[in-house]
Amino acid sequence: MRLEAMAITMPEVADHPNRIPFEGVLTVVDEASTRPPSGARGHRVILTRDAARAALPSLLGMAVDYAPKWDGHDARAKCGIITEADVIGSQLRVRGYLFGRDFPEVVQQLQQSEAGNMGMSYELANAHVADMRAEVWTLTQATFTGAAILLREKAAYRDTSFRLSAGRCRNSNPVREHAGARLAAHSGWRFEKQSFGQIQRRKEV
Amino acid sequence: METENIFASLGDSIERLSSAASLLERTVAWLEQRETAAGGAVEKMTAAVEGQNELMERDRELRLKLEAAEQQIAELRAQSSRTVAARQTLPASTTQLLAKQGISMVDSIQAGALDSALTGLSLEQRIAVKAQLLRAGMLTQ
Repeated sequence: MRLEAMAITMPEVADHPNRIPFEGVLTVVDEASTRPPSGARGHRVILTRDAARAALPSLLGMAVDYAPKWDGHDARAKCGIITEADVIGSQLRVRGYLFGRDFPEVVQQLQQSEAGNMGMSYELANAHVADMRAEVWTLTQATFTGAAILLREKAAYRDTSFRLSAGRCRNSNPVREHAGARLAAHSGWRFEKQSFGQIQRRKEV
Repeated sequence: METENIFASLGDSIERLSSAASLLERTVAWLEQRETAAGGAVEKMTAAVEGQNELMERDRELRLKLEAAEQQIAELRAQSSRTVAARQTLPASTTQLLAKQGISMVDSIQAGALDSALTGLSLEQRIAVKAQLLRAGMLTQ
């Protein structure tokens, strides 16, 4: 299995009231969407692994948004931020924070939602389609501009997920450094600190 | 005089064939260009299912496209029938040559029957007559 990961270094703040960590599967790569995404003119789409991997940096720091009925996107209702993105197997997994103090009703509704009920949906810009005439569009290049938390049944990809994490985000400084050391020592993760405070890890199993 | 007419119409036919060939070349080039330009960009996409408004908008776009395509098909059909009607005419010189060989005006003639009917004509005359009949769409295999 191949893993590609990127994360933003976030300074640790103990018991930060406005950071509620989450994790989820944003999309699957190299697989056709279950239904046509909005903007794809009725075509189902495949986001290639290479395109997803190349677009990971664009995903970091982007916001997550929500619609009141959890049925789509509202790019102006940003209730959190993505701080980490991994391509693990066929899943593009993300982690980040919700602004819990600013959006208590969002956190409350997510806490009360049934397990497996919520999913995610990406927002792309400048997506390149290999062949516009193909029945299923293959996206070979794209830029992530954000993501939405929504009901899984409203996502174009059936196999997405979203849940509030029990603990802290693993990329907060002390946690990440500890985890990094542990992972580096025990499972071969390699951390490359980049000049803009971004952490990139690569591992092949 | 007749031979001059025949050569003139033969030249005309060659000119038409030449322009048809260049048109075909241009069409092939266009098709090749279209093939390479099959990829495209999408400005915005979200992986959520389309809402009712978006579905209605797409439905409207598809209806417009369908109407445009139907209109284009109707125009092409009309153009095609006009072309067929226009093609069903032969120069007077060719008609006269055919008449001299005992062939009166027909809708179409088979190539084999034409060969045997034109044995009295020179090779150049036979080529010219066949070219005119082909252009008129009246010669069948």
